[in-house]
Amino acid sequence: MAKDILGDAGLHFDELNKLRILDPDAAQQTTELKEECREFVDKIGQFQKIVGGLIELVDQLAKQAENEKMKAIGARNLLKSIAKQREAQQQQLHALIAEKKMQLERYRIEHEALSKVEVEQNEFIDQFILQK
Amino acid sequence: MRLKTSLLKEPKHKELVSCLGWTTADELYSCGDDHQILKWNLLTSETIQLVKLSDIYPIDLHWFPKSVTGKKQTQAETFVLTSSDGKFHLISKLGRVEKSVDAHSGAVLAGRWNYEGTALLTAGEDGQIKIWSKSGMLRSTLAQQGAPVYSVTWSPDSEKVLYTTGKQLVIKPLQPSAKVLQWKAHDGIILKVDWNVINDLILSAGEDCKYKVWDSYGRPLFSSQSHEYPVTSVAWAPDGELFAVGSFHTLRLCDKTGWSYALEKPNTGSIFNIAWSVDGTQIAGACGNGHVIFAHVVEQHWEWKNFEITLTKRRTMQVRNVVNDAVDLLEFRDRVIKASLNYGHLVVSTSLQCYVFSTKNWNTPLIFDLREGTVSLILQSERHFLLVGSVGVFLYSYEGRLISSPKLPGIRTDILNAQTVSLSNDTIAIKDKADEKLIYLFEALTGKPVGDGKPLTHKIEIVEIALDQKGLTNERKIAFIDKNRDLYITAVRRFGKEERVIKIGTMVHALAWSDTSNILCGLQDTRFTVWYYPNVIYVDKDLLSKTVFEKDASEFSKNPQIVSFEGNRVTIRRADGSLVHTNVSPYPAILHEYVGASKWENAVRLCRFVKEQTLWACLAAMAVANKDMTTAEVAYAAIGDIDKVQYINSIKDLPSKESKIAHILLFSGNIQDAEAILLQAGLIYQAIQVNINLYNWERALELAVKHKTHVDTVLAFRQKYLEDFSKKETNQRFLQYAEGVEVEWDKIKAKIEMEIAKERERMSTNSSLSMRSSITSQR
Repeated sequence: MAKDILGDAGLHFDELNKLRILDPDAAQQTTELKEECREFVDKIGQFQKIVGGLIELVDQLAKQAENEKMKAIGARNLLKSIAKQREAQQQQLHALIAEKKMQLERYRIEHEALSKVEVEQNEFIDQFILQK
Repeated sequence: MRLKTSLLKEPKHKELVSCLGWTTADELYSCGDDHQILKWNLLTSETIQLVKLSDIYPIDLHWFPKSVTGKKQTQAETFVLTSSDGKFHLISKLGRVEKSVDAHSGAVLAGRWNYEGTALLTAGEDGQIKIWSKSGMLRSTLAQQGAPVYSVTWSPDSEKVLYTTGKQLVIKPLQPSAKVLQWKAHDGIILKVDWNVINDLILSAGEDCKYKVWDSYGRPLFSSQSHEYPVTSVAWAPDGELFAVGSFHTLRLCDKTGWSYALEKPNTGSIFNIAWSVDGTQIAGACGNGHVIFAHVVEQHWEWKNFEITLTKRRTMQVRNVVNDAVDLLEFRDRVIKASLNYGHLVVSTSLQCYVFSTKNWNTPLIFDLREGTVSLILQSERHFLLVGSVGVFLYSYEGRLISSPKLPGIRTDILNAQTVSLSNDTIAIKDKADEKLIYLFEALTGKPVGDGKPLTHKIEIVEIALDQKGLTNERKIAFIDKNRDLYITAVRRFGKEERVIKIGTMVHALAWSDTSNILCGLQDTRFTVWYYPNVIYVDKDLLSKTVFEKDASEFSKNPQIVSFEGNRVTIRRADGSLVHTNVSPYPAILHEYVGASKWENAVRLCRFVKEQTLWACLAAMAVANKDMTTAEVAYAAIGDIDKVQYINSIKDLPSKESKIAHILLFSGNIQDAEAILLQAGLIYQAIQVNINLYNWERALELAVKHKTHVDTVLAFRQKYLEDFSKKETNQRFLQYAEGVEVEWDKIKAKIEMEIAKERERMSTNSSLSMRSSITSQR
């Protein structure tokens, strides 16, 4: 009887007969809940860490991918410009070849003139020998 | 010839280099858009930053010219720097800005000192051209126009200015009233011009990717092929023999006639400016990528007989003897500046010394120190050589002894070239630049002026001179071409009387004397002409055309130049740069040799062997010149000049030596000399008769009256002449003397006989000659 009266007044005794203002069942449940909550928070924390690591990793990957992409673009441009460079080099070489050709032509003309002189001189010598 | 270029790995300037200029042969200043002025020392390969200008973008740089009169000042002290903010700055050698002057609105695109250093010329984007005093005070605005002026330059005499306006070139004299010359030069905007002091030629380069060469009248001499990029710079070498051309990634070395010696494709970007070092051995180029490119001119080539010499490096020459393929290497202490190979000797000048090698021995050159100043020209003759430099001309023997140094008051010697100086064993001839109608002649051995010291004067400007190389000193001849391209010849040494200057050719572009005999060759219009015996015009003018050998010059193309005339081989350079060799007949040279040694029989035998009219004509003229009438008779007979043979025969029959000489002179047209000789010998009548025969009546009468003999003879012949032509006497003097003088032919004839008898008596040794000699019966 007395128990009920106490109970009504919001006072309870636990197993150790200590006076409590909370229902022992509820108290136990609360404690359990508290424990569970702590566990939950820990787990969430862990999860966050893991996810953070993941994000970092992904970011790194993204950066790498970006780098590679730039490199690829660079390489592609280089390739294009090399074609142009080649063209320029070719042009330069052509100019140099033209120059050499002109020099060759000059030498050819000189050689021709000298051959003519040689022929003339041989003729002269022949004539000289014959007449003597 | 080739350019040896050198570029640093990293550019010293951070931005493009816009302009540069040399102070000495080894020191260069350069300016760029990074506001720096750098000083390059090539001896130590050091580059130091002289000064960093604040916010000035330099465009053009020009060193104040070395003082011409003050000999102590050997290098430039200040320079003018023009900039994009419309100012020009006078900056000292140490980099201090002495003065900044607001000159133009918009950028100042060019600044040039004149050759005397008395005036500065600037041209700007605003189309104005202004002239400033030495200290930077505005003197005048020379021209004003709508388009920017990209480049200006002074004429060699500093009296005219050449500038660009769009596609046109303009030559404007400083005198306001003088005529302005303007012509369209390029199909694109003209970027650069240059005008050489020595050869008076103009260079221009433009955005039509071409460079062109013009003469000072604006006539085109050369136009290059189109390049891939606009030609951004051109510059003449100081000696006017070469020029350099700069374009994008391109550096070219060209001959003054325009054809290109060498092409380099260095990694430079556009070359905005080119400057030649003071001694003309290297160039520097201001490159668009911040570099300054240096290029040495190497592999110059000299040939003489069987020797080929190449400048392989700056200080090394390779000598190749073609006959036995022997190769010698010649090493020099300094850089080779000029060299000349001829007459068995190689003369090389470096910056400090002169080396003389003999072709017989390459191992032991003769070395002597040069006086200050670099050598700009070496000329050789058989016995000596001439060094021409900024301080004067010096004649040395091949033993290295200084023989003489002609004094040339008022002549700038550093601008003399092979066309304006000529050397033979005994004479030096120099054409004056100030008055181009004059030729100064000097005795080679003493350095004193020839004769009375008066220069040889011609009617119009002379272009090219050449002395003959062989023969006697007293018969030295000089050939020259004037502005009308007429070829004249005259004697160097004059004895009392005025020596005639005689024209022997027209439209002559080039000439050269042979080095072994007095044979002259020239390029005459479209013909190649050889004067086997130019002296013929003093002996017998009619023979000139017969002693000349001509052939078609079409194989030499347009505007050829004669490089050399050695022995009987002529080397000609065509306009495209190729050398063409041609032989002239060897016989005239042999004939010259025989005649020089008075071997007349050999000479006649040679002519009989060759059987050529030209050779006989040469012999005829030579024989008359040397007064060997027997040979002359044979030679004239061979070329069929019967009248002359007859005359020579009649000369042979003359009673006295003097009359013979006089008639030989008459034969060559020297009437005055002939008369003088006769009068000197007291043969008055003969002198009078000479004049009568030439219908020179007045002179005959004058002589007769003066010597009081044979007045009646003169009158009688005059009367006869008038009767023959049925004319009346109109001459006052004859009318005057005719009065009171009775003409009796018998008496006159008797008198003549007497005179001749008298002459014969005088020459009693020769009296056995035939009796039938009477001067009156000639012709």
